[in-house]
Amino acid sequence: MIKLSDYVSAVQGTNHTPALKLSEVEIGDAYVCDMLSDVMGSAKPGQAWITIMKHLNVIAVASMTGIPAIVFAKGSVPDNAVIDKATEEGVALVSSPLSTFQLAGIMFDLLK
Amino acid sequence: MSPRAVIKRLRECGIEWFAITDHNSLANCPAYARVAAEEGIYFSWGVEIQSAEEIHILAYFDAPEQAILFDKELYDSLLPIANDPDFFGDQVIIDENENILRVEQRALINSSLWDLNTVVERIETFGGLAVPAHVDASVNSILSQLGFLPETPHFDLFGITAGLDVEIWTVKHPEFRAGKLLRASDAHYLSDIGKGSSQLYLDNPCVSEIKQAALGEPGYLIRV
Repeated sequence: MIKLSDYVSAVQGTNHTPALKLSEVEIGDAYVCDMLSDVMGSAKPGQAWITIMKHLNVIAVASMTGIPAIVFAKGSVPDNAVIDKATEEGVALVSSPLSTFQLAGIMFDLLK
Repeated sequence: MSPRAVIKRLRECGIEWFAITDHNSLANCPAYARVAAEEGIYFSWGVEIQSAEEIHILAYFDAPEQAILFDKELYDSLLPIANDPDFFGDQVIIDENENILRVEQRALINSSLWDLNTVVERIETFGGLAVPAHVDASVNSILSQLGFLPETPHFDLFGITAGLDVEIWTVKHPEFRAGKLLRASDAHYLSDIGKGSSQLYLDNPCVSEIKQAALGEPGYLIRV
């Protein structure tokens, strides 16, 4: 397990949900996917979700799947409506300039 | 939305012909068809299918019997995930008096296992017209999901969003100039009805003539 706050430091990340304490979010696994239907069907509660999708539906899917944190790759930054919804749902939003591949690799290494 | 409320709204908007295109299901079409017939408004059976690539494709049918058979196959192709009513509401199937006939348990919000080619092939096998939905939208459109307009399947008609500036958009997307466009409201709420519509210059209010117009046959026109 790693703390989301440690992961954010490792990926030049930015916390877009400052109301949520990243040091209190523990991550043990992640799911990398850019298709909502696949995340709904296959992601597990407690996994961090690495994606480039930043529209509002992403938050609903994270919430219903039990995903505590979404990591947006390639500098993708969610807008305020998405941030508000995420804060309401308790889903931490982090963005990073790194690619999905790099983000997954770093996460994988940290969890080894 | 209740069929009677929808039709009242359509009348207010001066719309004489409509279709409903619920996500991945035609189960509510019978109720609308009945009320439309009573009220003297033309109705076509429709559905908005989400392919495996998460592309939305509209399908319109003239023959209810074919539509019903298609609906059964479509249902069987959906990912067998249970609906979560906390997030997506109850998926109700109603009669013409808005009585709930049953509540669908399988999540209709999700995708079919059919890929784009299969979706189109299945629609056409059952006599329907396949129309990629809201091609100008940034999510769930053929462009957003694939990044480009594939050569196959071939489409003659493309759905566009209610407020699209067609002139500017077709300049940016010349690949769509060869086909025809169909503007609709994609209304999820009564107040959205009428926000987008098309004028169909046909002999009869039927899907087969929409197809003829899409093919550019003389004497038919779709104006957006």
